Amino acid sequence: MAPGAPHLVVRQVSKRFGAAHVLDRVDLTIARGELVTLLGPSGCGKTTLLRLIAGLESPDAGSVELAGRDITRVPPHRRNVGVVFQSYALFPHLTVYGNVAFGLKSRGRSRGEIDAAVGRALSLVHLEHLGARRIAALSGGQQQRVALARAIAVEPDVLLFDEALSALDRKLREEMQVELRRLLREVGATAIFVTHDQDEALTMSDRVAVMFAGRIEQVDEPRIVYARPATLFTLGFVGLSTRVSGIVAGSNNGRVEVDTAVGRLSAIGNFLIGSPVVVAVRPEHVRAAPETAGNCVAGRVRSIVFHGSNSLVEVDAGAATTLLAQIPNDVSAPPRVGDEIRLCWPVAETFAFPMPEAGA
Amino acid sequence: MTHAAAQAPAGKIVDRDRSAALAFLAPSLLFLLVAFVTPLILLLGVSLAGPSGLSLDAYGKLLGTGYYLTVIWNSLRLALLTTIFALAIAYPAAFALARARGMVRTALLTCLFLPLAASVIVKAFAWTILLRSDGIVNRILVGLGLIEAPIRMIFTETALIVGSVNIFLPFMILPIYAVVTQLDRRLSEAAATLGAPPIAAFLKVTLPLTLPGIIAGVALVFSLSVSAYVVPTLLIGERYPTLASTIAKAYLLARDPQFGAAAGVALLVIALIVVTLSARLAGRENSR
Ligand SMILES: Nc1ncnc2c1ncn2[C@@H]1O[C@H](COP(=O)(O)OP(=O)(O)O)[C@@H](O)[C@H]1O
Ligand SMILES: [Mg+2]
Repeated sequence: MAPGAPHLVVRQVSKRFGAAHVLDRVDLTIARGELVTLLGPSGCGKTTLLRLIAGLESPDAGSVELAGRDITRVPPHRRNVGVVFQSYALFPHLTVYGNVAFGLKSRGRSRGEIDAAVGRALSLVHLEHLGARRIAALSGGQQQRVALARAIAVEPDVLLFDEALSALDRKLREEMQVELRRLLREVGATAIFVTHDQDEALTMSDRVAVMFAGRIEQVDEPRIVYARPATLFTLGFVGLSTRVSGIVAGSNNGRVEVDTAVGRLSAIGNFLIGSPVVVAVRPEHVRAAPETAGNCVAGRVRSIVFHGSNSLVEVDAGAATTLLAQIPNDVSAPPRVGDEIRLCWPVAETFAFPMPEAGA
Repeated sequence: MTHAAAQAPAGKIVDRDRSAALAFLAPSLLFLLVAFVTPLILLLGVSLAGPSGLSLDAYGKLLGTGYYLTVIWNSLRLALLTTIFALAIAYPAAFALARARGMVRTALLTCLFLPLAASVIVKAFAWTILLRSDGIVNRILVGLGLIEAPIRMIFTETALIVGSVNIFLPFMILPIYAVVTQLDRRLSEAAATLGAPPIAAFLKVTLPLTLPGIIAGVALVFSLSVSAYVVPTLLIGERYPTLASTIAKAYLLARDPQFGAAAGVALLVIALIVVTLSARLAGRENSR
């Protein structure tokens, strides 16, 4: 997807709480109408970045621009940003209608305009019949919808969701992911979702920004984040992979030969001979069939986890190395625990990453 | 309670809730009946018992004499001013208390609770020591050269209100503090992101959500200060007769139990009105 003109620009933003560097020179650019996910483990700074965009925290350094305006020092009530909080933060003393109308009243809209906008927002989330309800009398899923309606009713320049679906049970969450994406497309909203759930990130967004320890590691379309992870962290955080460390023994034209505990492996990457690296492959590229080219390693099947159309096979290759292979279940002689097995995979799906420094 | 009752699908469940509540309340209801309601009925009886049978003379005297109307007004004025100043101090203090962390919070809470352990008489005397003409405040002011001679502080209405606010302040802070600690800070942030400037966010979100605490505090402080006896007696004395001191005088000096009882009933009616009104208001807040 070719991003259009930048709509939200976060530039070199840093934030510290006491001695802790919570955000470290973060850059993020989002086009109008784009849905972007901030994906990362708990404590990596996702909520803080979102709060900085909303104006609920102010950055120590860097700037935030929204719809062509520098809003770095603009207080939250003058930003036109919609937030759906993790805890929803609905006003318990107001009705559903009162909650959704709150932002419109703050903007001094007329009664008629408010009525119409509240009606539209509530019907978008299928709650038009519950306007008079008190918040306490709603289910979790309904509260979630009210929080969404309240945020979209004012037509904000950007919508921010902080783990907004995480409190819902799994089935409802998956339904809401699909519905939310459809709804946001319908109203043409620009949105940022914060989540630590990779499935949610891959399902819902045009682009995924992977965060780790206060930095953005990679921003790309979901398929690229998955298939071409830029860092070892992204590879490990999104999807499954086998990782083997080794030393570069040969390097030629974007390809390296790496000596590892399970033999010499070829991989994509540019490294000097002698560099310590980590070689990685996703399980779906690993085959049990005999191959003529590529990387091959022999081992003994340690466990098999059945996943319907395929099984995830764990193979002990010796030297404290475990290989993961996703084997289709249509083969005539499926492997069994204890079998000796030879696994091969293409070099084009094998990646080399610099070895993380100790302690990193 | 209103919440559960409104959601209950059938009347039966509500009935069971009610009878369970009644069972839990029974001991305290019984105690109140013996220790409170019975004496009240007796008090009412005494206030109506003239030398020759039933008479409203005592009430006529209380409500028909200029002097006693002033007495009633004095009590109301003391309660009103104490409540207003206590609220003005307690509301921000409750927020500071709720936002404080660790040692600071413990220290502040101790400052709040410790005075409750000291008797009202001790505290009122402490104020007289501070405020009398050779008291600490005057000595400091003279010592600093801010005033030439000691000024009169004790036995003024200012001293009365200052002392009374000080003594009853915890009863305003605690119920508000209890509500503020329950307040979700995200709510005012949500209001801000929805375009409400700080003052509007306060008026539309924070204030309504802390109102139950305010109502409880006002009811407590008003009913405590309207019937205060020790505080006005020690801090202002004869110059400011109140309903409480009038009752004491009627019983102890004038030996006129009928009049004392009538003044007691008047005090009770005032307190009842305030408490009922605030319970109404609080109930309406909760059921919104
Ligand atoms: N107000 C704050 N004061 C001190 N530390 C904070 C504050 N807010 C967040 N942090 C710290 O910043 C780090 C990142 O927090 P957060 O942005 O909430 O992470 P995430 O949302 O990714 O889980 C955490 O280590 C957290 O403890
Ligand atoms: Mg978070």
